[in-house]
Amino acid sequence: MKYRLILFFSACLLTFSSGCRKNKQTSGTPKIAVIISTLNNPWFVVLAESAVREAELLGYEAKIFDSQNNTALEADHFENVIVSGYSAILFNPSDSDGSISNIIKAKAADIPVFCMDREVNAKGVATSQILSDSYSGCVAIGKNFVQSLNKKGKYVEIIGMVGDNNTWNRSMGFHSVVDNYPELVMVAQQSGEFDRNKSMEIMESILQAQPHIDAVFCGNDPMAMGAYQALVAAGMADRVKVFGFDGAYEVIQSIHEGKIKATGMQFPELMAKTAAGFADEYMNGRRDFPEKMPVSVELVTSENVKFYIDKP
Amino acid sequence: MLVKFQSLLALVLLCFLLGVMTDIFFTYANLINVMRQISVNICISVGMTLVILTGGIDLSVGSLLALSGAITAGLLKFGLELPFIDTFIGFTLFGAIMAGIITGTSLGAFNGLMITRFRVPPFVATLAMLTIGRGLTMLYTKGFPISGLGPQFSYLGTGWFLGIPIPVWISLIVVAIAVFITNKTRLGRYIYAIGGNESAAALSGINIKKIKTMVYAIAGALAAVGGIIVTSRLDSAQPNAGNSYELDAIAAVVIGGTSLSGGKGTIGGTVLGAIIIGVLNNGLVLLNVSPFWQQVIKGVVILLAIIIDKYNSKSNG
Repeated sequence: MKYRLILFFSACLLTFSSGCRKNKQTSGTPKIAVIISTLNNPWFVVLAESAVREAELLGYEAKIFDSQNNTALEADHFENVIVSGYSAILFNPSDSDGSISNIIKAKAADIPVFCMDREVNAKGVATSQILSDSYSGCVAIGKNFVQSLNKKGKYVEIIGMVGDNNTWNRSMGFHSVVDNYPELVMVAQQSGEFDRNKSMEIMESILQAQPHIDAVFCGNDPMAMGAYQALVAAGMADRVKVFGFDGAYEVIQSIHEGKIKATGMQFPELMAKTAAGFADEYMNGRRDFPEKMPVSVELVTSENVKFYIDKP
Repeated sequence: MLVKFQSLLALVLLCFLLGVMTDIFFTYANLINVMRQISVNICISVGMTLVILTGGIDLSVGSLLALSGAITAGLLKFGLELPFIDTFIGFTLFGAIMAGIITGTSLGAFNGLMITRFRVPPFVATLAMLTIGRGLTMLYTKGFPISGLGPQFSYLGTGWFLGIPIPVWISLIVVAIAVFITNKTRLGRYIYAIGGNESAAALSGINIKKIKTMVYAIAGALAAVGGIIVTSRLDSAQPNAGNSYELDAIAAVVIGGTSLSGGKGTIGGTVLGAIIIGVLNNGLVLLNVSPFWQQVIKGVVILLAIIIDKYNSKSNG
C-alpha cells in the first residue's frame, strides 16, 4: 500500500511538471524538431547533434526525437511534434517507404519537413531532401578498388542491414563499377548488419572457406574495422585490402596508418547545416527548395588522408 | 536425459552435413573459431537458463552486456572524474573489470527486486531494463564507441592459453561453476523447486524472493562477463553491442531442452543449444548462403527443436 501511494504521488508530480514545461515552451522562441532514425550508431548521433547545434545557432530551440529505427514510434513523434507547436522538422527517416505517411501528416499541418541523409521514395512530400550520395560515393570506391587490385582478384563483400536502402545503394554503386571486370570475382557476400562484432565473426568464418582473397568491401566503417580485426587475427591483414564507407574517425586513422585502404567520407555536419539553413529560410518566406539536394561523398585514400586526419 | 540426447543427435547430424558439404568445417582453425564465437552466447545463456528454470525470463541481458562493457572500457580508458569533489580515480585492469561486473550484477539484482518486491512480471521488468540499460549505455558513451583499450585488456578476448582462446576458457569456467551450482548445491535445488512449483517451494520454507533476486543478479553478472569479452575482442566498446543477444540466448536455452515454464532443463542442454546455433551460423556463412535465407533457416531450426521437445515430453508421459 505504501509503495502504491508513493507511485501515485510521483506519477502526479510527473504529470504536473511536464504540464508546466509545456506552457513555458509555447510562449518562447520558435522550435525545430530533429527526428532521427536511430541514436544507436555514432554517425547518426553526429547528424542529430549537428542539426540541433545549427538550429540553435540560427536562434531556434531544438530537440532530438529518437525513432529507434521504428516507423511506428516515428509516427508518434510526428504527432507529438505537430500538436506541440514546432515550426519545422529536420528529419532522418527510418524507412524510405514507411516514413512517407508521417511526412504527409506534417505537411497537412503546414510544418515543413527537411529530410537528411536517408531519402524517402516519394516526390513533392518533403520540402527538400538533403541526401548523402551513397551511390556515387561507392562508384568512386569501386573505381579505387579496381585500380588497387589491378583489375584482378578474389574479394568478399560485407553488406549492411539487408532491409535498408543505403545498404543496396552502396552495394549497387560499388558493383556498377566492379562487375565490369570479369577477373574480379566475388567469392562471398554476407550481411554484417552494420555491426562491428557481427562483421568480425562473419569474416572469421569466410576466411576459413576462402583463405585466398585479395580484398574486402564493407558497407560501413564499423564493419570495415571488424573485418580488419578478423584479418589481423588470421595473420592476413598485410595482403588483404579493406575498403569501408562512412568516414569514421577510427577508419580515417587506420587509413593514415596504412591498415585500411579507402573509405567514402560522408558529411553529416554539412547535411545538418544545410537542412537547418533551409528550415530558417523557409520561415523567412522562401519556398523554392530543390526536391533533392545531393551532398557529395569524398573518397579518402592514403594519398589524401592528411586532409581529413585532423578533424575527429 | 533423452532430451539432451536428442540435441546431441541434432548437433552430430548438423556437423556431419557440414563436414560433407564443405571440406573446411572440420579444420582445427574453424572449430576454434566456432568455439570462440559462441563463448559470449554461452555465458549469457547459462544465466538465462537459471532464470528460465525459476519460471522467469530475462530480456535485458543484451543491454546489460553493452552497459557493462562500456563502463569497463570507459573506466579503463578515462578513469572516473568527480568534479564536484575535485578528484580523479584511475582504474587498473582488474578494477575496471570488477566495476563492469558489479554494474551487471546490481542491475540484474534490480530486475530481481522489481520482480519479487513489486510483483512486476519478469517479462515486463526485464523489458523495461532492456531499454533502461541501452539508454544508460548511450548516456555513458554519448553514442560513440570507446576504442583503443590497450594490449593487456585485448588479451582477454584475443589471447590464447594452452592452444585454446581465452574467451573459450572463460565460458568453460562459467559452465563448470553453473553445472556445480545446479547439481550439487542447495541453491541449485531451490531453483528447480521454485520453477517446478512455486507455492510448494514457498510452503517448504524456501526464501523465494531471495533466491529469485540472486538468480537475476547472476544473469546480470554473466551478461557483464559476456560484455567484457565482446569489448576486449573488438578492442572497442560499441554502444549498440549485444543488440538482440537475448533472443540468441533464449533460443540456445530452448533448443537445449529447457522448459520455458520452468523447473525442467540442464546447463549441459543449453551449452549444446548454443553450440548448435554457433555451428549453424558458421555453416551458413561457410556455404555462402544468402543472408535473407539465413534468418529463415535459423527460425525453422528453433521451431523444429521445440516440436521435437514437445513430442518427446508427451511420449514420455
